[in-house]
Amino acid sequence: MRAVTNRTKGALVLLLLLAGFPLLSALPNQLAAVRVAGLSLLWWYGGVAAPVAAWLTAVIWIPGSGAGPGRQ
Amino acid sequence: MTSAVGLLGVWLTPAVWFGMSALILDGGPDGLWVGLALVCAPLVALGMGSRPAGPLAEPARPDREPLFNVVILLVTVGVLLWANIILAGDAAAWLGAPRWQGIALTAAAGWLLTAWRGCRRILTPLLLLALIGVSVPLVQAARAVGAGPLGAWERVASAPAFRFPAASRWVTAGRDFRMAGGRAPIAFDEEHRITAPSGGTLRARTVDGNRIADIEWNLTPGQSVTLRPGDQVERTSVLRIRFEAGKRVPGAPQTGIAWAEGRAGDWARRAALLFTILAGALALLRSGAAGPTSRGVAAVVGGGLVVGFLSAQAWAVYSVLGAPDLFLGGVTLERLVELPGLAFAGSPWRRPLQAALLGAGLAGFLASSVALRERLGALDRTGGGEIGYDLGLWAGVFGVAATASLWPVDPWRLTVLALGGAAAALSPAVLWSPPNESPAAATVAGLVGLAVFAALAVAAGLRAGPGGVLLAYPAAVAVPAGAAVLWVARRGARRAKAVE
Repeated sequence: MRAVTNRTKGALVLLLLLAGFPLLSALPNQLAAVRVAGLSLLWWYGGVAAPVAAWLTAVIWIPGSGAGPGRQ
Repeated sequence: MTSAVGLLGVWLTPAVWFGMSALILDGGPDGLWVGLALVCAPLVALGMGSRPAGPLAEPARPDREPLFNVVILLVTVGVLLWANIILAGDAAAWLGAPRWQGIALTAAAGWLLTAWRGCRRILTPLLLLALIGVSVPLVQAARAVGAGPLGAWERVASAPAFRFPAASRWVTAGRDFRMAGGRAPIAFDEEHRITAPSGGTLRARTVDGNRIADIEWNLTPGQSVTLRPGDQVERTSVLRIRFEAGKRVPGAPQTGIAWAEGRAGDWARRAALLFTILAGALALLRSGAAGPTSRGVAAVVGGGLVVGFLSAQAWAVYSVLGAPDLFLGGVTLERLVELPGLAFAGSPWRRPLQAALLGAGLAGFLASSVALRERLGALDRTGGGEIGYDLGLWAGVFGVAATASLWPVDPWRLTVLALGGAAAALSPAVLWSPPNESPAAATVAGLVGLAVFAALAVAAGLRAGPGGVLLAYPAAVAVPAGAAVLWVARRGARRAKAVE
């Protein structure tokens, strides 16, 4: 069961990264519009942080080619 | 097909890349979120498709892929090629060449490549060429405007208004009004004097206090008309028009801040689009795919998607910084095939870089056409992938796609339609394999999903004006319908086993 659970976890993290975007944009007082180093927080998240995090998530969760079921 | 580059070629077609850029430009954060979904969806699909080996493995794949799956993927590949050929035709028309030339060149190049069996070897060089062809103009644009991507974004997001630059073709020579794209009338929010350099018919709905009037002007060459705030020009107008420099671009966001913050969200519609993209990725990348995805493949695909997404964002920002008139009448994909206007005004590099960009688009299309054919060939396990190189079959596919491309359709909508159709027919069986006792349940589930999808898509087509979320994204209903059929089949098989 562990393999299936971890596989689902990876997909769940990717979906949470996607869900983070509307949640961030819904924050009160237009917090997502606050600019950091020229870019708003929302654009930092959706344009840079979330895609890079999605990439890292996929690399961590998808098993290496030599991995057996225990390492899934 | 396990090659990471092949997966990138299948997913990141030029229509998808330019679509990402156009959506970001058009909707700001809304488009950014769709771009993020286009990055995450294939990674979810690859992760979900990573079947463990050993005792937890899925049932062994049959030697032959069901004919249903092959036909659905063939149609999906055909529609994706169609969307990209339309983009080539639109780009040719936007750059001043006859539309058919862009269509014929692209379709012929794609078909000729099917005759070369070793073409899979040039998949990586083609994608690298596409990347270089986009990167060089981006670097040059950054140098010309004197700002990196963050600085360029800040300048766009701080713009007090989006106005016609003096160097815009809409201001200098004028353009055919039909090039403004879209179907809705173009509404003016400040006074504009528009000129018809060659004359023609201008149809407008004018507002004078509470009185609304539909007026048709037959303009002589060089004659001008003044339109006031609230007036609308109908898309049926047939003429070349010129705008005044420095006036607000009709249809553009009020300010850069408004663009950066985006419009109020219709989250039901966005969720349905996300579902379509996710299920479409599962169908397109995992249906009938051989073996699990390795970490190396995930690293290359993920890296390629992130680079593609970042470059699409940069392209959108530099494009609007150089040519705010891109917003006129709604952003369309082909406008982004032109180099950012102001950044290259008067530059001797303009022509070579424009040629490089068009070359990049063609290289991207050829890479995607090879990858899509290989993807289909991977289903032909007994025939050694022969289906991917059948000259007659692909002559038909490219011929039909090229002929259909003569009628302008939005390439992004067509791409979403292809993903939705594939999702409805194939994704339920990718997520929940049919019971070993009744493998035909997958086909039945696919047929049910496809029937629901087709019924809703036809209903959406018959309905005048925008329909509901489910009509816009029928896969959101069709996939669960197919999954329900599989659930019933699996439950029946379990019960039969328990009785035994």
